[in-house]
Amino acid sequence: MDPTERIIRTFEGKPVDRVPTFCAGLEDRTFNEVLGQPPFHPHKLIDNPLSDFLFRKWSPLMTKIFFQPLVTIGMEKRVKAAAKLGFDADWAIYEETFTPQNSKSMVRYSGSIYDIIDDGYGNSSYMYRGPGITSREDFDEWPYWRNPDEIAHRSYKFFKKIMKRYGDSMCICGQGSAYGIQETILWSVGFERMPVWIMREKELIKRFIDMIGEICMKTSMALMDAGVTVILQTDDFAFKSGPMINPKQIDSLFGPSYTKIIKAVHDRGGKYILHSCGDNTLLFDIFIKWGVDGLHAYENTANGDIFKEKEIHGEDVTIIGGVGIDYLLSERSKDEEIVDEVKKLIRALGHGGRFMIAPVHSMSSIPADKLRVMLDAAKQYGKYPITV
Amino acid sequence: MKESIIEVQKAINELLLDEIKGLVQACLDEGISPLEIIETGISKGLDLVGEQFEAGTYFLGDLVMAGEVVKEAMPLIESRMDPGAAGQKGKVILATVHGDIHEIGKNIVGMLLNVNGFEVIDLGVDVPAEKIMAAIQETGARLVGLSALLTTMVGGIKEVIDSVMEAGLKDRVKIVIGGACISEKLKEEMGADAYGETAIDAVKIFDGFSKAA
Repeated sequence: MDPTERIIRTFEGKPVDRVPTFCAGLEDRTFNEVLGQPPFHPHKLIDNPLSDFLFRKWSPLMTKIFFQPLVTIGMEKRVKAAAKLGFDADWAIYEETFTPQNSKSMVRYSGSIYDIIDDGYGNSSYMYRGPGITSREDFDEWPYWRNPDEIAHRSYKFFKKIMKRYGDSMCICGQGSAYGIQETILWSVGFERMPVWIMREKELIKRFIDMIGEICMKTSMALMDAGVTVILQTDDFAFKSGPMINPKQIDSLFGPSYTKIIKAVHDRGGKYILHSCGDNTLLFDIFIKWGVDGLHAYENTANGDIFKEKEIHGEDVTIIGGVGIDYLLSERSKDEEIVDEVKKLIRALGHGGRFMIAPVHSMSSIPADKLRVMLDAAKQYGKYPITV
Repeated sequence: MKESIIEVQKAINELLLDEIKGLVQACLDEGISPLEIIETGISKGLDLVGEQFEAGTYFLGDLVMAGEVVKEAMPLIESRMDPGAAGQKGKVILATVHGDIHEIGKNIVGMLLNVNGFEVIDLGVDVPAEKIMAAIQETGARLVGLSALLTTMVGGIKEVIDSVMEAGLKDRVKIVIGGACISEKLKEEMGADAYGETAIDAVKIFDGFSKAA
């Protein structure tokens, strides 16, 4: 059974040979351990006085000829390393919507600001700094809005290449330059402002939702044109204690857009995964109503219960995740602890199918060797019928 | 209890952002003192919001809204208050630790502490231990709240706790930690005084420490 067949059949609740493995993306540190370390620390290319000067003076040009090519190389390496490790599926991302202002900060097209940081291993990473849109005027005058068709076209080109190079060895679950509708708006206006704007700036929030929804739809369709069968969208709707905003509000504000996008993916024979961090217990029924085929992350550090979810929704949706990154997939854990956890997850969640074992997130603190232990254990103990 | 005060409680509990000012003004017009409005109107209203949050009928966004409702009313109340009445429960230093710039949780806790009678000294994000120590020494604050979202940043919390111990202030200063990656187990490992899982928990913990002081 090839990986893509294993993944698609799992979504459909059909028998497969073993529990599939899903890669929740690899950060630079991890993929460098798999593919080989670069000859120098990549972050130094960005964080130096010359780059800083050039970014400040010619930000759009530098983004196009220097920053974006670096980012694109990294995004392909993520996929290449996941294939080399032997995952059945990979969360592949194409992202080209950041514009560095200098060597320390960058903006995203949709109105949010980020610090460019060293990930602790000499690679560039980023951390959310705050909102760029704090008023209606900011929204109307934001200078970085992008043409959705252009974003979709460039996502298509990237995934066409990715499918040609890695599509046979792994099921590519693609996300193209579009983060989730809700989280994009939340980052752009800030969490403290969002609930107030939902109440006082209804028309503006609707425009924002429609705009990001259009980008999500167009990039999803572009990825499917490029041959991607599984579309993955990240949209963190919850914190560790539960949903960020009222589930009814989440459904009424974002449900129509997601339902439309997911239907379009289904109409073309595709599958749809939603990634949402935190405790989504109160949201699973809503996500399933929208039509999602798979849900990722079931973070072990949040208050949700993946085992209970299997009992409640195990026949309606494919559960993807379960392996913690706070301890198990870190340098502090012992290999046998990872194996024990994999066995436990397979024993409890593998029966009846519709389960893919996966890290709950990507993180620069994940050593490649720990992923190898997880993969070996999943392949050894995940064979159907489950006997572990 | 007077009807107008109950209306203030209700407005906070029901997150009536556009109505709160008028209701507080009505209380003041009736001659109700600013302190009474805070204690029996605003604080009680926030307690009701907290109860709804704990019961799972309100969410983080609702806590933010409740804070905004109170913020809308506070200038009106403060304009009639004795200077010095605010912040009566004590000073709390808040910070997101070194290396981490996430501030949503910290800001919500700060807003709720503020409207619950604490004086909040918010040092912001990515705050090194030395800066937190300096603030403790300068302000005499006995309560410190530290936030971290990422597992990779929890070392910043340990640095602060170690610094407080080295300075011989551990008995005097209470350190409460919170954030997505924090757990009761981590609290024990780090040697913090308390772990607040939610913003409401944090307020209760600080309240407890304030009363015990």
